[in-house]
Amino acid sequence: MSEAHRPVFHRAVIALNGGSSDARIVRLVAEQARLTKAELIAVHILEIDWTLPLDADIAGDSDEVQRVLDSAEAIAEESKIRLEPVLLQARDVGAAIVDETVERGADLLVVGLPYRKRFGGEFAIGRTIPYILQNAPCAVWVVRDPISEETK
Amino acid sequence: MFVLVVGGGKVGYYLAKELIDAGHEVALMEKDRRRAGQIADEIGSIVIAHDGCEGKYLGEAGCNRADVVAAVTGDDEDNLVICQMAKHHFDVPRTIARVNNPKNEALFRHLGVDELISPTRMILGSIEQDIPVHELLHLAALGEGELEIIEAHLQSGSPAIGHAPRDLAIPDGCSLFAVIRNGVATPLRPDTIMLEGDKVIAIGNTDCQALLHAQLIGEALATDA
Repeated sequence: MSEAHRPVFHRAVIALNGGSSDARIVRLVAEQARLTKAELIAVHILEIDWTLPLDADIAGDSDEVQRVLDSAEAIAEESKIRLEPVLLQARDVGAAIVDETVERGADLLVVGLPYRKRFGGEFAIGRTIPYILQNAPCAVWVVRDPISEETK
Repeated sequence: MFVLVVGGGKVGYYLAKELIDAGHEVALMEKDRRRAGQIADEIGSIVIAHDGCEGKYLGEAGCNRADVVAAVTGDDEDNLVICQMAKHHFDVPRTIARVNNPKNEALFRHLGVDELISPTRMILGSIEQDIPVHELLHLAALGEGELEIIEAHLQSGSPAIGHAPRDLAIPDGCSLFAVIRNGVATPLRPDTIMLEGDKVIAIGNTDCQALLHAQLIGEALATDA
């Protein structure tokens, strides 16, 4: 990518979903951030259903949550860039990501999109990404997973 | 306190907003997805776009840990079902129902709803307070609804004028306890002579209203057909 076309951002929020797209988006953004010395914040949202209070200790019991954040940090480190891991509990993932992006004053939000199909074969985008695209005030990058043989 | 509000009309919307402002945890159920989306856009992620009349969705909305369930839809039937499920299936300590048709109040009480809010009854009460009527004015229901606080405005023709409570045949289960005269409330003693224009405050069960009406108003009690 030439200098003129290189995207400029100063602070990016990377939304981690614990899936296969996490490594891809962290690597992508970390490479760009290294060149522009941008600040990276990786946010993992734990959705809490209404049967539990919002401050229920869910994250503390989960090794998986820690793994998601540690992996992101490790990938950023490979690119020699510091990444701040943030874990949040919320009722709605989309709203929590947008709120955190606004609160952090980020000028870029990056989200991964797994390639999934609904029953019947139609591509499913889910409800989080449309919400983010509609509500995030900053630039948004959506990185879709490649279509694998299984999901074809 | 966690409050589950069912019904996202004007009442539910403003109720949820006020509760959030007061620092409570609030979830709001609204079955109309469009309306649910509007509320979520304005208040935030507190809206569950499902029908609160279905136990499954009440459960998903956290009814099991709610301190209060307020059923404020426009349908009395729905509000009754919601409160009954909340009370008996999810053991919610306090259920509050909006009752649109005052004639349904007794049924709601009988079926265990803790508190009833009847906008119709409130407006009716307000109108009755401003317009002189030759009827007993129902100020409030107590207990399970079997007791009521009643006001009787003594006007010309009332058999109570010029008499003290001890001279009247006050029915059992009923007590005259205060009089408002010239805007001042004083306890009504057995020997207090009642005057025209007095407002006599009584407490009694609903069964003794006909006798009380005859003693204080003096005309036949209007009854529902």
